[in-house]
Amino acid sequence: MAENVCINPDLSEEDMDPEVATRMIILGPKADVSESEIVNQLHLLGLPLTIKQTCYGAMVSGKEEDVMEAIKEIRKLDQYNIFTKDRGFPPGDPRRCRGHRKGPREGFHQMEKEFQLLGYVSDALKNPKKISLEEEKCIPVDELKNIIESCSNGEDSHNMNKKNKNKNKDTI
Amino acid sequence: MVKVAMFPPNSLILADLIERKGHEPLALQKAVRKKVVDPEIDSPPMNITEEDPIKGLKYAAIEVPSGVRGRMSIIGPLIDEAEAAIIVEDAPFGFGCIGCARTNELSTYYLRRRGVPTLELVYPKTKEETTDMVNKINTFLDSLPKSEEENNG
Repeated sequence: MAENVCINPDLSEEDMDPEVATRMIILGPKADVSESEIVNQLHLLGLPLTIKQTCYGAMVSGKEEDVMEAIKEIRKLDQYNIFTKDRGFPPGDPRRCRGHRKGPREGFHQMEKEFQLLGYVSDALKNPKKISLEEEKCIPVDELKNIIESCSNGEDSHNMNKKNKNKNKDTI
Repeated sequence: MVKVAMFPPNSLILADLIERKGHEPLALQKAVRKKVVDPEIDSPPMNITEEDPIKGLKYAAIEVPSGVRGRMSIIGPLIDEAEAAIIVEDAPFGFGCIGCARTNELSTYYLRRRGVPTLELVYPKTKEETTDMVNKINTFLDSLPKSEEENNG
């Protein structure tokens, strides 16, 4: 019989609290800090948080204001290479935990794909540029015709002037 | 601070960029969290309550598969809340809760129909494309109007 991967979890009171938020802290490939440094720093903040070290960085869970303060502080370590996102499930929830699911958790594949771009994203964040959001459009055919005509007319008159000059030179 | 809906609604890059600019990303995870802490549901988001398909009916007709309606009952209210939107097309995520092509089509359709400032991009594959995407998103987020509360304040 197939194993039940939809386990009914026995969540703690904290995990069932609607004011509690969980955040994933993901390190970009060019990060100057390690996962353990992040976790140490989180512990040093002294906030009432549940902190878990993971392969991609860390996970913090606690009251939303504490979590946001921790994120704000932790970003200072490496502003352009620390990325964060919300997580719906509390840390170690058996419905999402890889250890219980006998395979990668659902969000893994997306994170794997997005991780491939994080290095480029941090480079772009370091060197910001203001660019136009307007789409480049093709020139209408009539306008293009007008431009060609005006150019060819200009060339014709230019050639005529050259010929006249040469004629004048010959006569002199 | 403007509430910005994004597609894919659980994107790490989009949510992070929106937050860096001081706006609020309308992330799917927050909506899922509400379901997770609901004691009536055994295994969210796989289980849905009888109210969910009814909520989903606002966004999808009765003939539409119940899976789409169930998903729309979570994504739909986020779209309704949006004051701006960023849509990234051709994102290579076909897994998990975002792996339903019809829901994806319906979500982008509703986001476009909302009439809020929308930025549409294609998922980047190279460094140049990624740089371009990040710059466009940052320029778009800078150009967003301040929310009514801030204007009144």
